[in-house]
Amino acid sequence: MTRPGSSGRFHGGISLLALAFLGLFLLYPLWFVLRSSVQDEAGAFTLAAYAQVLSSRYYVGSLGNSLAAGAMSMALASLIGVPLAFCLARLDVPGRPLLLALASVPIVLPSFVGAYALVLLFGHAGIVTAALRSMGIAAGSIYGMAGIVTVFTLTLYPYVLLPTLAGFRAVDASMEEAARNLGASRWHAFRTVLFPIVAPSVLAGALLVFIEALENFGVPAVLAEDRPFLALDIFKLFAGESDPNVAAAGALSVLLVGCTVVMLLLQRAYLAHRRFATNARRGAALIPVSRRWRLLATAFCWGVVLLSLLPFAAVVVISFQHFQGPVLSWQPGLGNYRNLLKGSYRPLANTLALASLAAVAATVLGAPVGYVLARQRSRVSAVLSIVATMPFAVSGTVLGIGLVIAFNDGWPVLTGGWLILVVAYVVRKLPLSVRSASAIVHQIDPALEEASISLGLSPTRTFLTLTVPLMLGGLAGGMVLVWVTATAEISSTIVLYSSRWTTMTVMMLQSLEGTAPGEAAAAASILILFTAAPLLLVYRLLRRQGGSLL
Amino acid sequence: MTAIRLDAVVRTFGSVRAVDAISATIAEGELFTLLGPSGCGKTTLLRMIAGFSDVESGSIWFGDQRIDQVPAHRRNVGMVFQSYAVFPNLTVEQNVAYGLRARRVSRRDIRDRVAEALALVQLPAHNTRWPHELSGGQLQRVAIARCLVIKPAVLLFDEPLSNLDAQLRMHMRVEIRRLQKSLGLTAIYVTHDQEEALAISDRIAVLRDGRIEQVGTPETIYRAPQTAFVAEFMGSTNIILGVAAGFDGSATTVAAGGAMFQVRGRAGAPGAKVLLSIRPETMRLAGCPDAGGPTLAVRLQLREFLGPLLRLHAALPDGTPIRVVTLGGQGAQPAADGTLNLIYDPGQIIAYPAP
Ligand SMILES: Nc1ncnc2c1ncn2[C@@H]1O[C@H](COP(=O)(O)OP(=O)(O)OP(=O)(O)O)[C@@H](O)[C@H]1O
Ligand SMILES: [Mg+2]
Repeated sequence: MTRPGSSGRFHGGISLLALAFLGLFLLYPLWFVLRSSVQDEAGAFTLAAYAQVLSSRYYVGSLGNSLAAGAMSMALASLIGVPLAFCLARLDVPGRPLLLALASVPIVLPSFVGAYALVLLFGHAGIVTAALRSMGIAAGSIYGMAGIVTVFTLTLYPYVLLPTLAGFRAVDASMEEAARNLGASRWHAFRTVLFPIVAPSVLAGALLVFIEALENFGVPAVLAEDRPFLALDIFKLFAGESDPNVAAAGALSVLLVGCTVVMLLLQRAYLAHRRFATNARRGAALIPVSRRWRLLATAFCWGVVLLSLLPFAAVVVISFQHFQGPVLSWQPGLGNYRNLLKGSYRPLANTLALASLAAVAATVLGAPVGYVLARQRSRVSAVLSIVATMPFAVSGTVLGIGLVIAFNDGWPVLTGGWLILVVAYVVRKLPLSVRSASAIVHQIDPALEEASISLGLSPTRTFLTLTVPLMLGGLAGGMVLVWVTATAEISSTIVLYSSRWTTMTVMMLQSLEGTAPGEAAAAASILILFTAAPLLLVYRLLRRQGGSLL
Repeated sequence: MTAIRLDAVVRTFGSVRAVDAISATIAEGELFTLLGPSGCGKTTLLRMIAGFSDVESGSIWFGDQRIDQVPAHRRNVGMVFQSYAVFPNLTVEQNVAYGLRARRVSRRDIRDRVAEALALVQLPAHNTRWPHELSGGQLQRVAIARCLVIKPAVLLFDEPLSNLDAQLRMHMRVEIRRLQKSLGLTAIYVTHDQEEALAISDRIAVLRDGRIEQVGTPETIYRAPQTAFVAEFMGSTNIILGVAAGFDGSATTVAAGGAMFQVRGRAGAPGAKVLLSIRPETMRLAGCPDAGGPTLAVRLQLREFLGPLLRLHAALPDGTPIRVVTLGGQGAQPAADGTLNLIYDPGQIIAYPAP
């Protein structure tokens, strides 16, 4: 459907518009980051910043720590996610639908809130630590690598679980039966038929875990203490109180984005050649197992899912307890919330307004892009597809720095206002809305649009009067997803916010440093409420779009 | 009423020449069928006419207007899709009115014309039912009414009946034919079902690998296929490889399958390889009262009783399989050694030069 005069022009127009937006607000800022890393004060080309960074033991350690945390989280998330997916797909575990819904919650919950929960429970002044200390038991430290990897694993494992589960379900029963029929044992069939089909999904999800862990700002911000971590150091170098060094921040940013881009390219290259059996006519049947195994599987599934949600639940419970200074006294009350909001409702209102604007804008931009990507195969759409997934590979902190450098002076000046936050959110969340729109469009028979065109409506009018109404239900799901994740955004917000446009996440991070754990817990609970509740509300809608959550 | 002219139209996908320089003229009011095996380019050609696929070279004309550069929504074609493509978010009435709204027809006219179109396809007027409440046959009627209502220059059908069950398929094709004739619309119909093509068409074009193999009326295509491919595709004929021998002035002797066949006319120079096409229904069992002509001894291997018909699977002396269809009432008792004698008409065997 590429007529030069009609559909082609429509698709081309949308592609160019989207490319212009991403060019201006993603590539152009990144170009500034790159430039700042290879220029000295006079503007001459130099690699001094890289030499400085790479010869510093501290920054090499920072790179090493981040990569190690990413790799370990990836391995652990797979170790949890794959068996969990298998149990949910093939074993008779009670409460599977509920389990699945709960298991997708950690993806949208702000991971640094999980980290904070750990601090609240097991930190230096943590509740559990204090209780243990009073019993004379010395608990190990949760700060540093161990705590960070724990939080990453428990919040990111759904990235492995969801695609792997979809993979297990996409294997048509007849395929496995055929293998068994040919004389393969169950284990042999798993190894030779099932696993090769599912492996690409596992790897794709695992690499996403790596990328997310690598570029995450919030979790190390809470748990690293003085240990170097890449995203954290970039921020400190750029905006630190003590001698900011933009060139070094730029060099580290380039290294970080380089790592994530390599990972994303690996993932795409690997997936491109391995797309098996995605349309099962008949899902594989549950495997009958003995009572003991069933019990074990049930304990494992519920154990993992509840464990991953436990810290969040603990924060909510604690937020309703009374604090005397930093000391918890188990008396229920709303005092923390009163103290938190006593200052002003402004951060809460900011968060809601910014997230709503971003959700609407990302959807309005993402829906046509998702449509073009689903319907058209051309060189422009191939470029668009790559550029539209790029935000995944660009850490929020780096994007924030780029936006600040690019729009600090000259025209237009955006820094310090609300618009730059919305722009950052839209850029960062665009892949989500594009993917969810694509997923819906794939379910709309292209013949419907062709029928409309041959009945006399131009492609643009057909899109507006036929396709958009057909997409609406699904778009709402994607919109909520953007809203929820924008609400929890911290890594670019921390670079871009101004005192007038402080958000809940910033406030939460600031109150961590203060001595009012009760208020931090209240802020965390509000964030949990505003992320988990909408997700569960549209959960059914999202499931129908088949894994567009990722 | 519009004639359609295709002039050397080409469309390639990578190295596949899906439509390879096809030229054809379809007369006003004619129902022209594109017939051929899967992947021969039928859909691609139809979509080029509708405007959904680029024309790489060549031209397409509606009457004396060249339309291959006109955007799809200004071509005024009615297209009926295999999947019906009835808009699920609109009622039956709104579906039919869709093209009229696009043309900014007045509200009153829309109501009248929609009712008229619904009556044509025998659906109740003022139909506010939703598509998901309709059966496949009803959906197809809605799709047809939706096309007819805009008074299209041409009607295009892409395997419109393949999602219906056998009985409904038979019924709907009669209706489509009746409507097309009574409205005098020029139509192009795509199918890979040769019986459907024979039943419905004024003319048929048999396609193979993006080229037209033969164009003609259903009778010509069936009775006088110009190539072995057409013969084989139009009804499951027996194709047997043989070598031509002597020509006695009226018939050629051909050695094929370990037997000698008489073929009317000059089938080929002596020693030339030929392909013989013998339709299963042109052979009779020896011993039938009205039978006369050369005979052929075959070994019976399997009989299928099909109600009115009896299909015999047999083998020629060298083992080449051959199928015979006779009326079900005829007893086909082979001799004790399994041999069965067949009588054929030399005039019914067509010989093609072997490739
Ligand atoms: N969009 C496309 N991209 C690549 N190749 C295509 C495309 N559309 C069609 N083809 C190829 O062009 C050839 C003709 O396809 P077409 O759909 O026209 O066949 P058809 O005759 O309609 O077959 P069927 O009876 O199966 O519907 C096939 O080889 C097909 O693989
Ligand atoms: Mg087709």
